[in-house]
Parts: sequence; structure tokens; C-alpha cells
Amino acid sequence: MTLTLDEVLAQNDPSKLEQLSKDDLHRLFWRFKGQQKAWDRDKAFWQSTNENLKVAYERLDEQERELARAYGIIQEDLSVAHNVQRALLPRVLGEMADEIEVGVYHKQLTEVGGDYYDFFRLPNNRFAVGVFDISGHGVSSALITAFLKAQFMQVMEHFDSPQGIVEWVNRTSFDFLREVRKYATVNLVTFDPDGIRYVSGGGYGLLLHGEETFQFEKKNHFLGLRLKPYREFALPFASGDLLALYTDGMVEAQNKDGIDYSVRRLNDVINRNRNEPCEDIVARCVEDYTAFRAQDTDDITLIVLRRR
Amino acid sequence: MSGSESSGMLVHGSLMVGYAQACKNLNIVAGRAAHAFIDKLEINSWYPLEQWRELEHLVLHSYARVEPILVRVGVEMMLGWYHFGPGRTQIKNGAAFLHFQTGSQGFTSVVQGGLDVIGTFDMDFYDRRRGRAVIHSTTPFNRWMERGVLIGGMSAPGDLDYVDVMMGDDPDLLHCEFH
Repeated sequence: MTLTLDEVLAQNDPSKLEQLSKDDLHRLFWRFKGQQKAWDRDKAFWQSTNENLKVAYERLDEQERELARAYGIIQEDLSVAHNVQRALLPRVLGEMADEIEVGVYHKQLTEVGGDYYDFFRLPNNRFAVGVFDISGHGVSSALITAFLKAQFMQVMEHFDSPQGIVEWVNRTSFDFLREVRKYATVNLVTFDPDGIRYVSGGGYGLLLHGEETFQFEKKNHFLGLRLKPYREFALPFASGDLLALYTDGMVEAQNKDGIDYSVRRLNDVINRNRNEPCEDIVARCVEDYTAFRAQDTDDITLIVLRRR
Repeated sequence: MSGSESSGMLVHGSLMVGYAQACKNLNIVAGRAAHAFIDKLEINSWYPLEQWRELEHLVLHSYARVEPILVRVGVEMMLGWYHFGPGRTQIKNGAAFLHFQTGSQGFTSVVQGGLDVIGTFDMDFYDRRRGRAVIHSTTPFNRWMERGVLIGGMSAPGDLDYVDVMMGDDPDLLHCEFH
């Protein structure tokens, strides 16, 4: 009795091979040989694929090295930019320090950032302090801080009111800021013998005058957003009074439950420590903020000033 | 071929899509640009030979030893053509593929252009009993891929126990063996 190749395979019994017909023995031969050919082709395919993978890994390694080199160059540039931006930040003017005690905390989220503060000299031996927050972070915002500093430096000695200064800067910067799609909060304060005058557009300000507490009116617009007049406000600022100016970096940071640090909490810390030296008040605020927040999410500027 | 590539030869979309699909199935093209290029192909359109070359280049430039890859692409193309395209209705068995591919429905149906440009794909010799055939190809396509096309086309119906295509000293002659 002869069996077909399919029948032998179905019975799974190699001893039945003897019962194969001559035709099926031939088929078995060709099928085996055909499988060998197919294996050879598969082997060549996979060897080639494997070689390709090796080349691809080598290319990837090379690209990784190039990326690392490029990253190193960028880091170096950013480090230089960081130093330049640091150098652009002011020291307290000598004459101003005689009248006003100052404490500052300023931290950029990345090497360079968009928070900027400055101390200015005005006509008639008066002074001003400005705190600004340029939209966005990083290099583009940092470039705008340099631009704004130049603008303010130009105008300071020609106006004696914060309104005049801010309006001039807004007018002359408007087209540029629109073009680069940036805007900036502004908090500019000038010191008079018994008080302060300020223009605030998006910035935060707290003034402790004796038992009274004032928060800055924020009815003005940001620099670069509108070509409209600014409103100026005045507050008393006598000996021993305290003024705090800050950007949104601290107050909008959140804890792990998504709760904002908040203006209220920061103002409470300032209030509780109001009799401490300004640098200590700043340090207490930073301690409280650091313990609260999950992580920094923005540039931070906090300036505390006291009339001596 | 570079001198004649811009002389108006057209390649049918079915061939382009088949090739592209085979490359995708085998994961042998990588990168968004390659996939975007492949996804733009339409099965019923005609494409200039240059575009075929571009498609071919996606594979050629990626491999140091590309011949086994091209064979596999050719096999995969024809398996797709037989099992998921019109192939099953067009050939009854593996050996018939050789007649089909060298006839009016085969190679000549997926290219357009003058003979001097598209070349020929003819059967020089065929012996069914001994399981031998020789194809003479002067097409602008890669011979390794054509080798794969013949292997895949003959294997797809599943009736042959042995299929191989070898290239001798003359690269335009494809020696087929089938049993």
C-alpha cells in the first residue's frame, strides 16, 4: 500500500516514508530543497537587515555625539548670556541706599529669563524702582529685558512722573513689541520725600504704611499691548514704611495639590516679618515659598524696600 | 539608465504602491519623510520613472548589502499581489506566472513609454517538464528585485515545492527553476 506525502505528514510517523510513491518521494526531495533555498534567502535578508541595524546604531551614535557637541555650544552661549543678564541687573544706587533699605530676590527659571528689575536716578536727586515681567521665558524674553533697560535708561532723566516715563516707553516700544509678539508687565515707582507715585500694569505691589495696608491698583495695561494713556497713583511712604514689589513667579506657583501660593500668602509673610531688615523679610518669603511650592514654574522677582 | 530616465517612461501606481507596501510590511523604510512619500501614492495613477527611482532610493541608500533586501521586496510584492490583489484570478499555478509576467498582462501592463526606454521582459526558454525557464530582461528595474518578483509570483499559488531564480554571468538573464 502506498501513501501520499500529505498522508505521511498527517500521520506524523517517519517510518511510513517507505510507503511513499516514487512521485511523492520526488516531491519530498524538491520540497526539502525548496525549503533550503527559502532559508538561504531568509538568512541573507536577515543578515543584511542586521548589518543595516549595526550601521544605523553607528549613525545614531555619531548623531548623538553631534547633538552633545551642539548642546555644549548652546550651554556655553547660555552661560555667557546668563552672565551678561546678571551684569545688566543694577546695584542699589549709593544715594538711594542712604534713604531706602533694599532686599532683593531674583531667580530666572532657566539660564536667562524674562523678569527684570532696575533702580533709576531721576532729575532732582530722586529715584525710581521698576519691576518688569516679559511674556514667555528664555532667550527671547531675555533679549527684550535688555531692550527695555535701554528704553528706560534713555527716558529717565527727562520725565519726573512714572506716568510720563511709562507712556514714553510704551509708545516708543509698541511697534517693536508687537512685531516680536511680546509684552511686559510694568511696575514703576518713584520716590518723593513723603510718598511714592506708581504706575502698575500687571505687576504686584504691597505698601505697609503704619497700620494701613495698600495693594497697588492694577488698572493699567501691559507694555506693548495698547497705545492708551497710563494712570498714575500716589501713596504715602514715610520713615519705617515698607514697600514690596514682585512678579507673578512666586504667587502663581503651585503645591503638589495644585493650590496657588497666592498673593494673600506672600503678603501675610511680608506683614508678619515687617519689622525685620528687608533682606531678612525677603529670606523669610523665599523659605515659606520654597517649602510650599512643588517646583518653580516661572522667573521670580521680589523686592522689599523700607524708608529709613 | 540615468540618460534615459527623463525620456518619458511611466510606471503604474499599482507597481509603486505594491513596492511601497512591501517596504512597509517588511519595515525596511524608516522615517517620516519616507512614509509621507509612500502614503501619497495612488494605485490608479501613472508616475514618471524618476519617482520610481526615488522610491527605490529609499531602500538602496539604507543598506550596505541591498541585494537580499531587494529580492525579499520583490517576493513580498508578489505575495501581496496574489493574496490581496488580482493575482489569484489571473494565474492558476506557479508556472503560469512566468507566462503571465512576460505576456501582455504582466510587465508591459504596468509601464508606458518607448521600447528603447521601457525595455523588454521576455521568456527566452521554457520547459515545464524539466522545470526550467530563462527570462531575458532589459527593463530599467533592478534585477535583484525582478528575481524576487519571479520567485514570489511562482511561489504565491503554493503548488510548487521548489522555486529559485538565479543570475548568471549575464545579469539580464534570469534562470528559473521550479518543481
